[in-house]
Amino acid sequence: MLEINDLHVSVHGKDILKGLSLTVPPGEVHAIMGPNGAGKSTTSYTLAGRDGYDVTQGSIRFKGEDMVPLPPEERAAKGIFLAFQYPLEIPGVSTLTFLKSAVNAQARLRGEKELDAVQFLKLIRETAKGLNISEEMLKRSLNVGFSGGEKKRNEVLQMALLKPSLAILDETDSGLDIDAMKLVAEGVNALRAPDRSFLVITHYQRLLDYIVPDHIHILAGGRIVKSGDKSLALQLEEQGYDAVIGKVA
Amino acid sequence: MGDAISTGSLLETATGRNTGAADWAEALRDRSRAEFAALGLPNRRLEAWRYSDLARALSETVRETGSLPTCHDMPGAYSAIFENGILDETQSSFREAGALPLRQILADPASPFVGHIGGVNPQDDHPLLSLNTALMEEGIVLRVPAGTTLEQPLHLRFDWQADTIGGRHLRVLILLEEGAKATLVETHGGSPSFATIVTEVRLAKNSELTHVRLERLGSSGRQSAMTLGEIGASARYRAFYLSEGGHFSRHEALLKLAGEEAQADIEGASLATGTRHCDNTTIITHAVPHTTSQQSFRGVLSGRARGAYQGCIRVAPDAQGTDARQMSRALLLSHRAEAATKPELEIFADDVKCAHGATIGELDADALFFLRARGIPEAEALSILIEAFFSESLAMIENDHLRGLATDAVQDWLSSHASEVSSVE
Ligand SMILES: Nc1ncnc2c1ncn2[C@@H]1O[C@H](COP(=O)(O)OP(=O)(O)OP(=O)(O)O)[C@@H](O)[C@H]1O
Ligand SMILES: [Mg+2]
Repeated sequence: MLEINDLHVSVHGKDILKGLSLTVPPGEVHAIMGPNGAGKSTTSYTLAGRDGYDVTQGSIRFKGEDMVPLPPEERAAKGIFLAFQYPLEIPGVSTLTFLKSAVNAQARLRGEKELDAVQFLKLIRETAKGLNISEEMLKRSLNVGFSGGEKKRNEVLQMALLKPSLAILDETDSGLDIDAMKLVAEGVNALRAPDRSFLVITHYQRLLDYIVPDHIHILAGGRIVKSGDKSLALQLEEQGYDAVIGKVA
Repeated sequence: MGDAISTGSLLETATGRNTGAADWAEALRDRSRAEFAALGLPNRRLEAWRYSDLARALSETVRETGSLPTCHDMPGAYSAIFENGILDETQSSFREAGALPLRQILADPASPFVGHIGGVNPQDDHPLLSLNTALMEEGIVLRVPAGTTLEQPLHLRFDWQADTIGGRHLRVLILLEEGAKATLVETHGGSPSFATIVTEVRLAKNSELTHVRLERLGSSGRQSAMTLGEIGASARYRAFYLSEGGHFSRHEALLKLAGEEAQADIEGASLATGTRHCDNTTIITHAVPHTTSQQSFRGVLSGRARGAYQGCIRVAPDAQGTDARQMSRALLLSHRAEAATKPELEIFADDVKCAHGATIGELDADALFFLRARGIPEAEALSILIEAFFSESLAMIENDHLRGLATDAVQDWLSSHASEVSSVE
C-alpha cells in the first residue's frame, strides 16, 4: 500500500526527515510513536502533499505510484487521508457544505458519480450519529466553536465519509476523553478492511489497546530507529524513549 | 473602447448645447461648468484622489480584454434601462413606480425638484460632482410619498456595450418622504469610455432606503460614481456595494447623518483581477447628536489589481453620542496585487464611540491546504475561502431576496474568474 524509502524532507530550508523508510502493506495498522519534534507531523504533512515540505531525496510510493509530484487533492482522490493533529477552523464555511464539497470533489476526480443532496444527507446523518456529532454542529462553520475533542471526532467523520485506502491519524487521540477515544477507535475499527491501511501516530499506548496495531515504529531524529510488535509500546511506556532508543543506538 | 479624454474636451462638450432645459437648470449647469473649469480633472496630486488618478486613466487609450460583461439581472423590479447612457423608455417600467425621467424635470421651469437636484449634501471643490452637474441630461427622479412603501425595488440598469465618444453623465435623485420605504438597485455592466453617475438620496424622518449597487464593468470601463445622501431623524440608509473594478472604477459614498437617531450601514465587497482598479471612498458626516454609522469593506485582489479604500468619519462639534464604526479587510491573492487603505477620523465632539480597523493580508495557506487535503481542487478551495471571506458581509443583508442577489453576484464572479484567481503569481 505505502512504501516510503530513504525519505529526506526539508521545511523552510531546515532538514527534518533524514532517511525515513517505512512500508505499510494493505490491511495493516502501523503505529508511529516518538518524542516531540521527532518529525511525525512532518511525515504526515509530507504524505498529504503540503506545500513547503520539500522532498530532497528518497521516494513515496502509494499503490505503486510515485506520490511526490502530485498535488494534495490528487493524493486525496487516490485514497490518502490525513486526520490533522490540529484541525483547522474555517469561519464562513459550514461543516455540511465542506463535507459535501469534499465527497463530491473526490468522486469527480475519480470519475465517479456525485451524490445528490438527499443521498448525501442520509449518508452524513448515519455517519455523524455513530460519532455522536449533532446536526447542530454540522450546520456551524467548520470546527468553529468546536471543543478539542469535537474537532477530532469531526476528523474521524471526514475519514468515515471519504473512505480512504490509507488513513494517517496524527495524534487523533490527544485531548479526547475515554468515551470519545472509544468512539474514535470504533470508527477506525469499523473501517478496517483488507484493502485499507492505517498509520496511527500517537503518544499513548492506551489508544493501541483499542486500535490494535500490527507493527509499531519509533521515529526519532527524522528516521525510524526501531520497529517491533505492540509490546514495544508497553516497553516505551515503562522505560521511556531514552532507554529504548538508547538500546538501539 | 476608451479614447483619450481631457478637461478641455469635456468642457467643449459642455458649451454651446441647447438641451431644452429650464432656466434654473441652465443656471445650475453654468455654475457647475465654471467650477469644473477651475478645478479640472482630478489627479493623484489631490489627496482625495491619491490612489485614483482619473486624469491619467482618461489620457490612456485602453482596449477591452476578454468579452464585455453585462449587468446583473433583477427580475420583477420597476426598471429604468440606460443603454450607453441613454434612457430607453420603451424597455423600462419606472413610471409604474412614480418615477420620472430627469430630462422632463430639467425642462420644467416649476419643477418641485428644483433645489433638490444638486442640493443633497453639497460638496465644495468636488470636480467630478461639478462635471456631472454641468453635463447631466439623462437620469431618473423618484419621490416616494409619506408613509408609503415602494412595492418592488427600482432597478436602474446601466449597460455600456457600444463605444460612446467622450463621456456620459447621469443623475439620479431619490426622495423618501416621512416614513416611506424603498429599495434602489443599480446595476452597471460593460465598458463606458467615461461615465460619471451621481445618485442623490434624501431620506426624511423615519424613512428607510435599501441601496444595492452591483458593478460589473469590463476591463476598459472607466467610471466614477458618487452617492450623496442626507439622512433625516430616525431614518435609515442600508447599502450593499459590489464592485469588480475596471480600468478606472470609483464609488464615493458621501453621506450626512442630518437628524437624530439617523443610521447608515454599508457593506462593501470588491473583487478585482488582472490590472483592474477599484476605489471605494466614503465620507460620513455625523452632523447632529445620537447618530450611528457602520461600514465594512472587504476586497479580494488578484493578478496586478489595485484596490483602495478611503474612509473618512467626521463628527461635528455638538454631535454627542455618535457611534461610528469602520472596518476594512483586503485579501491579496498575488504578490503583485496592491491594496491601499486610509482611514481618517475628524472628531470634534467628546462623547463619541468610534472604532476602526484595517487589515491587509493573504489567504490562509493552512486553510487552503486543509481543503485540498480533503480532495477539493485548488481553484474550488480558493472559491470556498473567498466566499467565506465575504460571508459575513452577505449575512448582514437582511432582505432575503437581496441577499440572494448579492450572494449570486459573488458566486458568479468566482465561477467566471476561478482560473485567473488560482494562478497566484
Ligand atoms: N515550518 C517549520 N519551520 C521550521 N521548522 C519546523 C517547521 N515545522 C516543523 N519544524 C520543526 O520540525 C521538527 C519536527 O516537527 P514535527 O511537527 O514533525 O514533530 P512531531 O514529531 O509531530 O512532534 P509532536 O509530538 O510535538 O507533535 C521540529 O523540530 C519542528 O520545530
Ligand atoms: Mg506532531
